[in-house]
Amino acid sequence: MVFQAMYTLTDLRVLLRETAPLHEFDAERKAQVQRLLDNLERQVGSLKQEMLK
Amino acid sequence: MRCGAGIDARMVDELAINIDPIQAGGRLTADAMKAVIAYGDGYSVCDNCRKPNRLDYITKPPIAEFHKDLASWLNMDSARVVPGARRGFQAVAHTYVKKGDPVLLTSLSHYTEFLAIEEAGGIACEIPANDRYIVTADAAATKIEEIKKQYNQAPVLLFIDHVDYQYGNVHDVRGIAKVAHQYDIPVLYNGAYTVGIIPVDGKSLGADFVVGSGHKSMAAPAPSGVLAATAERAGEVFRTTAITGDVTGRQFGIKEPEMMGCTLMGVTLVGMMASFPHVKERVKHFDRELENAGIVHEALLSIRGTKILSEFPRKHTLTRVDTTGSFDTIAQSHKKRGFFLSSELNEKGVTGIIPGATRIWKFNTYGMTREQATYLAKVFVSIAHENGLKTA
Repeated sequence: MVFQAMYTLTDLRVLLRETAPLHEFDAERKAQVQRLLDNLERQVGSLKQEMLK
Repeated sequence: MRCGAGIDARMVDELAINIDPIQAGGRLTADAMKAVIAYGDGYSVCDNCRKPNRLDYITKPPIAEFHKDLASWLNMDSARVVPGARRGFQAVAHTYVKKGDPVLLTSLSHYTEFLAIEEAGGIACEIPANDRYIVTADAAATKIEEIKKQYNQAPVLLFIDHVDYQYGNVHDVRGIAKVAHQYDIPVLYNGAYTVGIIPVDGKSLGADFVVGSGHKSMAAPAPSGVLAATAERAGEVFRTTAITGDVTGRQFGIKEPEMMGCTLMGVTLVGMMASFPHVKERVKHFDRELENAGIVHEALLSIRGTKILSEFPRKHTLTRVDTTGSFDTIAQSHKKRGFFLSSELNEKGVTGIIPGATRIWKFNTYGMTREQATYLAKVFVSIAHENGLKTA
């Protein structure tokens, strides 16, 4: 789960690279960011459950 | 934000368009970044190393398969990964060059080729580029004849850069290799700016050796690279050890002296491997890269006084420009002097040209999106306008 979260962050990092320097996201990219952030939240939630139980 | 004592997190490519000529083709893919996260520990690829205990025999991760794929992709017979193209030059020079041997390279060759020759005790003999900064087969033939007269022997090796690092010009490797082979001179193809950028067919080009740079052109961490050879030459440069310890009687199996045993034993290799499928795909789309470069070149050429010193129309995304007649005229009276250009580029989110350079400088548009290329073109023109330069 740690790797999954880091890999999701990596995908976000790549999006920042592809849109530098203005970081203007079109609708497609916004949807992609939303999906990645949703995944990240789920992954962090799972980490909380597993590591703090 | 720091990632260690005194080490700032590097966010260059996240915050800006990076046009550094040597960094563009080495930016990691997402998969390489992920591999780096997982394989950062020292000998991380050695978890499943079994007899005969050599890097290119490891099957998990699939390093053995990667070596075969690399050779096949370059249309060569054997390949090894090396810590940078320079270590490939070194291995080949050390195999073929003895003290006092003349070795051919060109007036546009990378300095590490000179160092490889020097270390082997050879004499560097440069084929001169013509007035358009192109190295031709005719010039190679003339130089070989001169060397034969001067040294009473033909050169023992030829280094030829397909695309040179100074102008990004494309040279006639096939023609030059044909000439070299007429004198039985082995040909080392330096693909530091081509392997991973455009399709490379080693045998078709007449190469005995193909050298590529992982960190320059294959979206891999540094130092990484590839040395590939034909079957005829592989047994020479990839010969195995024959040494025996006089006290212990130890021998070292199938380790290869020119490789100093195993080469890339961790993050550099998996980074290269993770990017490889993307690299194989991206070389098929170099036309898009040239289109992006063209957008930027057109903008630069619209600024009066600007010249492109590289061959034109461009065949590569690494380009040398002369702005002595444009941006440098601003530098003469600007309060930041020559630093105004890099400073204004930075303010607009562009990085990678040498601070202070306003006369002759290089940049590389490789890997940009179309939006980024268009933005970069506008930035150059806007800096020109803001400083009173005229555009066409």
